[in-house]
Amino acid sequence: MDNYDIVVIGSGPGGATAARYAAMRGMRVLLLDKRQELGAPVQCSGAISRHALVENEVVISDEFIQQPIYGFTIYSENGQSTQIDYRELKPQEYGTGADQRPLGYVVDRRRFDRHLMAMAERSGVDVMLKAEAVDIHRENGHALLRVRHYADELTIRCRVIIGADGLQSQVGKWAGLQTHMKFTELASCLQFVTDGVEADGLLEIITGHQWAPGGYAWVFPKGHGYTEIGLGIICSMSKNNAREHLDHFLKNSFMKERFKNVRILEIQGGGVPLSHPLRTQFADNLILVGDAARQVNPITGGGIHTALTAGRIAGQFLGEHLNNSHDHSAKSMSRYQELWMEKNGKKMWELYGIKVKIFKIRNVEKRDQTLYTTMANYFSPESPFKKI
Amino acid sequence: MSKSEPVLFSIAWNACIQCGVCVAICPQERSFISHFDTIAVDRPCDIACMICEAICPVSAIDHQSIAVSS
Repeated sequence: MDNYDIVVIGSGPGGATAARYAAMRGMRVLLLDKRQELGAPVQCSGAISRHALVENEVVISDEFIQQPIYGFTIYSENGQSTQIDYRELKPQEYGTGADQRPLGYVVDRRRFDRHLMAMAERSGVDVMLKAEAVDIHRENGHALLRVRHYADELTIRCRVIIGADGLQSQVGKWAGLQTHMKFTELASCLQFVTDGVEADGLLEIITGHQWAPGGYAWVFPKGHGYTEIGLGIICSMSKNNAREHLDHFLKNSFMKERFKNVRILEIQGGGVPLSHPLRTQFADNLILVGDAARQVNPITGGGIHTALTAGRIAGQFLGEHLNNSHDHSAKSMSRYQELWMEKNGKKMWELYGIKVKIFKIRNVEKRDQTLYTTMANYFSPESPFKKI
Repeated sequence: MSKSEPVLFSIAWNACIQCGVCVAICPQERSFISHFDTIAVDRPCDIACMICEAICPVSAIDHQSIAVSS
């Protein structure tokens, strides 16, 4: 039986980053993923701030960057817009010049996730694909993890498990944590990667109940002349599914002229938890990071930055804690959540409060207007949340 | 939306985009998953809340009622 200090279940941005930081502190780490190719099937638009990469020491590489981003345009339902272009707002910092940089990127999640796994592996992490966690039980203060690797079954013994198994997380469920999401707080998302639609270096966000009830629609440049067009909806607010809403948006919105030559090259979908983060993100021998802990920005639906940061906090914490202690109890793991609350959690709870307030407004017109204003303020240079 | 009788789900596999939303929203306490990351299709669901069907972005989930034997 193999022995590790830490086994990370799921090699997305959160898991791979947690593994990397723990290994950098001398931990013996195994990083598992049940897939054969990371990031696939793609369930994400791939927008991330440059700050998020720098803060979490991700080497910025052409390997995964599809498009540099310089700002945002926020639209109301009928096409009124607020443009926030950092090339104009802060030309000394943002632009394409040698001494300027982008505000963020749209990344290819397949390449991005592989890059993060490679960074972990080069930091000393053992990695294993086609490896699905089956169950966990505890024995003498350690965790025993049963894994199906290809068609074989193996058992791995470790001190702490990091559950980074995403939206559909089973690891938290196994530990008895309250991971269930409300129907009114899980956005159902669909996007097309398209050709034939112009977009420049801005992320475009389109609000409005008829396009995307409970969420928003987006048009993101994807590099090489491609454009992502998608939306996320809360299904309790509509009789139609995400696909029907996206079709309606393409055919009938104020952007329909721009979409008239649209050709669909890829179809991608996913779920985005627009809930509060889990109230308890740890258990005996266990820590949860990223989507598995519902660490998603409930205003933007962004989850890469929050996962990277949580992964770093988890990896750093365990790297220090396990070097000095043999206590793997829930009580000792709770320190992770305290550190995370301090860094990210408090602001995410605050954003959740803002989101709940918007969707409590019964009058559709008033709610749409509030969402539009909130989004426009959120991305402005004065926003108190711009580094989440 | 919710039904009183257990149901057996079926998936239109060609329509499924493997987004996992149905699994994520499923309130079953034990894992209720297929090998293709959808809700289980090999055993009845006794909760039958039907929210997995409602949330699927491409409406790939269908069901049939299972008569409860007396």
